[in-house]
Amino acid sequence: MPYKYIGRTLDHKGKTLWEIVGNLKNFGIGRLVVRNMFERYPEPSYLRILKVVAMTNPEKPSMDEPRNVRVWVERTFRGKKYPEPYYIKAASFKADYKLIPRDEEEAYMKGSNPRPVKLMPKMIELPPLLKELVIRENIINGDPPEKDNEVEAVYATNVNNNFRVVKDGEKPDVEVTMGLGKPISPGLYEGTGLEFNK
Amino acid sequence: MLRIMNSLKTMSLEISANTPASTNINSIRWRRNPRKPIWKGTAKSKIFRVPPRTVIPQEEADEIKRLYNKYKTEMKTITRFFTSKYNIENQQKDDQDLNKKEFESDLEACMKLNDEWNAKQKVEREASAAVELEKSIQLAKERRKITEERRQQRLNEAEEIVRREKVFAKDFISPEMLDAAIEKALANPVDHNFALDLEGNKIVGYETPPLPKETASLKQ
Repeated sequence: MPYKYIGRTLDHKGKTLWEIVGNLKNFGIGRLVVRNMFERYPEPSYLRILKVVAMTNPEKPSMDEPRNVRVWVERTFRGKKYPEPYYIKAASFKADYKLIPRDEEEAYMKGSNPRPVKLMPKMIELPPLLKELVIRENIINGDPPEKDNEVEAVYATNVNNNFRVVKDGEKPDVEVTMGLGKPISPGLYEGTGLEFNK
Repeated sequence: MLRIMNSLKTMSLEISANTPASTNINSIRWRRNPRKPIWKGTAKSKIFRVPPRTVIPQEEADEIKRLYNKYKTEMKTITRFFTSKYNIENQQKDDQDLNKKEFESDLEACMKLNDEWNAKQKVEREASAAVELEKSIQLAKERRKITEERRQQRLNEAEEIVRREKVFAKDFISPEMLDAAIEKALANPVDHNFALDLEGNKIVGYETPPLPKETASLKQ
């Protein structure tokens, strides 16, 4: 009789990390493990196991309380290799890992070219109303009206960011404006009467 | 921050300083009415309901993500612009001499105030110290009196014991009288192994020879 699953569905697919490394010779040091969730990206993401430290089994191991494990890995995310070893413990319980057989490793790692780093502009023009206020304030204070019409952009700071702010003399590839900007899929805005030329 | 006061009649823009009173943010942790209170739990009929997964088309998801990132960048940029422009800390002129002068005048004023407080405190401290000293002396005197009384009491008790023991000491056996006391004891053996009858008569003679009848029938 086939299994019938009930309840909410899950995006995870695979085994927990302990289920993989606990059954491998020498805890699978040197083997390649991948997360199913990261396979949605075109660039390959994989983990090369460097060191494994086992943890105690929970008192009542079950699907709700799986066994954790401490693993240090060499991490490649979206084709970009990280210089420091990456420590996995809190995410080791997720049943989302997959072991890559040794003969398929090379093929899996193929094409691991990282995405090109985007260049973001350093300054952004203020939104129209605020700009008008700034100009009026400048006039009252006796400053040139064009002062502070462009301000320094503040971007998210994250190690996984795939962009950097342009240095002097460089030209940004991305245009950042205050407002709706240029949509990725203009079809969504059809019939709204919005113009994206600016 | 700026507060934009837009009058409909004149459509004029006015700039005024923002005050904390104009900022009023309330976070609502759940929808109030007509929803039932959150502590009521899941309804019996809904316990096993599995809500369908929300499916967002890829192009919509991309657009939402783009707008979200854009909004965050814009808000952070504008916030930092306002902070750098209007924050009081950023308005201060970095004049070393002025700062030094201000600091010195402030220090002088502080020292003057401090000296005043110290002088005031000194008077209070001396007055209170005198009171405290008087209190301590009084307390020490009282305690000394109590101690003296107790000592006297203990002495009296000890003397009473000695007096009592002296009275008993008349019957004690001295080394000179020891032989005579032994002789007396041997001559008058005491038999504790006796029986009592219902009238309380002592009946001796289990081990020792019975005493003469007059003596034996004596009541206890």
